Amino acid sequence: MKRYAYYQSCINESMTKEVDRSIQLWQHDLGIEMVHLQESTCCGGSNLDYVSPKHFALVNARNIAAAEKMGMDLVVSCNTCLMTIRTAKKKLDESPELRDEVNELLRKEGLEYRGTSEVRHLLWVLIDDVGLNAIRLKVKSPLSRLRIAPFYGCHILRPSSVLGKDNPMEPTSLDQLLEALGGSTIHYDHKNRCCGFHTLLVAEEESLNVAAEALQEAMDEKADCIVTPCPLCHTVLDGYQSKALKKNGGKGSIPVFHLSEVVGLALGYSERQLGIKRHIVT
Amino acid sequence: MTDSTIQHNEDKRDVTFRVHRFNPQVDSKPYFDDYTIKLEKGITVLRALNYIKEHVDPSLTFRAFCQAGICGSCAMRINNMSKLACTTQVWDELEKSREPDVIKVEPLRNLPLIKDLVVEMDPLVGKMQQYSNWVDSKMPEEQWGRKEFLVSEEEFLKYDKATDCILCASCVSECTILRANREYVSPAILLKSYRMNVDNRDASHEERLAGLVKDHGVWDCTHCYRCQESCVKHIPIMDAIHGIREDALESRGVKDTSGARHAEAFMEDIEKKGKLVEATLPIRTNGLAWTLRNLLPMAFKMVIKRRTPPPPPLVKSTKGIDAFRAEFREMSGHVAKDHEKKSGE
Repeated sequence: MKRYAYYQSCINESMTKEVDRSIQLWQHDLGIEMVHLQESTCCGGSNLDYVSPKHFALVNARNIAAAEKMGMDLVVSCNTCLMTIRTAKKKLDESPELRDEVNELLRKEGLEYRGTSEVRHLLWVLIDDVGLNAIRLKVKSPLSRLRIAPFYGCHILRPSSVLGKDNPMEPTSLDQLLEALGGSTIHYDHKNRCCGFHTLLVAEEESLNVAAEALQEAMDEKADCIVTPCPLCHTVLDGYQSKALKKNGGKGSIPVFHLSEVVGLALGYSERQLGIKRHIVT
Repeated sequence: MTDSTIQHNEDKRDVTFRVHRFNPQVDSKPYFDDYTIKLEKGITVLRALNYIKEHVDPSLTFRAFCQAGICGSCAMRINNMSKLACTTQVWDELEKSREPDVIKVEPLRNLPLIKDLVVEMDPLVGKMQQYSNWVDSKMPEEQWGRKEFLVSEEEFLKYDKATDCILCASCVSECTILRANREYVSPAILLKSYRMNVDNRDASHEERLAGLVKDHGVWDCTHCYRCQESCVKHIPIMDAIHGIREDALESRGVKDTSGARHAEAFMEDIEKKGKLVEATLPIRTNGLAWTLRNLLPMAFKMVIKRRTPPPPPLVKSTKGIDAFRAEFREMSGHVAKDHEKKSGE
């Protein structure tokens, strides 16, 4: 059983609880265990980095240092947490002065940032550690009837200098996993585009326009559902779906699943067990 | 070696350019023309387009000049990505093509189309004027031409990368928010504005910044990083956008824009609880009236589905919050010292 320090994202603790609930259900089936990183704090959600770059470095050095203390890689299931914590790690690894400054403070808590733990997305762990072949062998209810629109979201792809797993213009990782689960994926323009989450409270009209365009394209391409590895994208595409489509003259509706939920469905868990009934669009 | 690799390594092959066409004087809507030509390895997309114009279809219209990645005039969308035709190798694009041997060529997005592959650049120039994208000299006019304005290397390094921008508008074409609203300032203008605002010779910092924080300004960026990823000069454009935001928070405080209040809420919550208090985030960003008007109908659905974030008293502080808070506050002391040092310089 391979163990990981699991970083619980704020949104998964408060609104999209079904993400962690579904991972808990199937993790042992795939030979992995997500150990809750108790001491972690909010990563800053791609905002703290410009509000105060030094607090940003401190907060995320502490998050990573806590994982290092456990001797495990830090794993997240939110794209923005992934990009944010990896950005901080890059800055810390490139600047011995910054590392010394934060370590002087962390030492008081018995922590030290050394740069030994990797910061990874759950999707990457499934592909690189568990392996697509191993996953294929565990599938009990293949997603074979589903025509899926994969929605990667921005912060698992860009900036590629920080992420680097997929080609940001032609990503394949999520498609590969969905196909290993027995589903078929569609190619559409919005696959690697933005959901609009980060401006929902600041430029709502623009955000809803962005979301509506993505939803509409997936529906026009006759997808049965959208699958995303990011709870923030899910919140816009599911929670704001009717508002976004209504404001932009769109019609119809399309279910949006978390990556962790479709893994659970393919491994034989029910919609109720996985918390899918909690979605706004069902 | 696979068959396709062998094929791609061939020195000569037939390549089809699927080119966007539109002549507003005769066409009711845009369409695509296919041009299949035999090309040698090493040729750029621009040279291929020049060949088509000279030998196949003289009516094909595109803009190009330096042919060396300097003037920025041949930016277009090649295989769904904005880039310069003159620095893009046909053989590299063939590797990325969705349809074998076909390269799709379209005009830049988010700018008005004039003809075929040519877009109107005036909206961008207009925004450069709107946001004063030039150095407004601090030096009194009578000293112009008589005195040098020295810039130290350290000062120059603040905007060195930003000066690489050639205004090709690839970032403009790929911008998510501009696609949603053409009024948006756009990444190229934010980059230029940042470059002017950190220039120690400039006198218009405050006014420029005041314009940048208004509606359709710097706070409307949705952090999608498409601009940075498409930049033909590899400029970290998001660093400039974040730089303007950091500057706005420092020089103008958080009260005057929803974007600034939203960003500051993250800092407050992390210090207080170690995590975000999402339930009050809309109110703290936009006030109660906006929240009731915009989010109340959705809130009902969310309550039914038990998706509402917990109210502030129910948000538990993270484990070890006291030690964390002490470190956080000590870091605030470091930041205050840094500011003192900076303002003393």
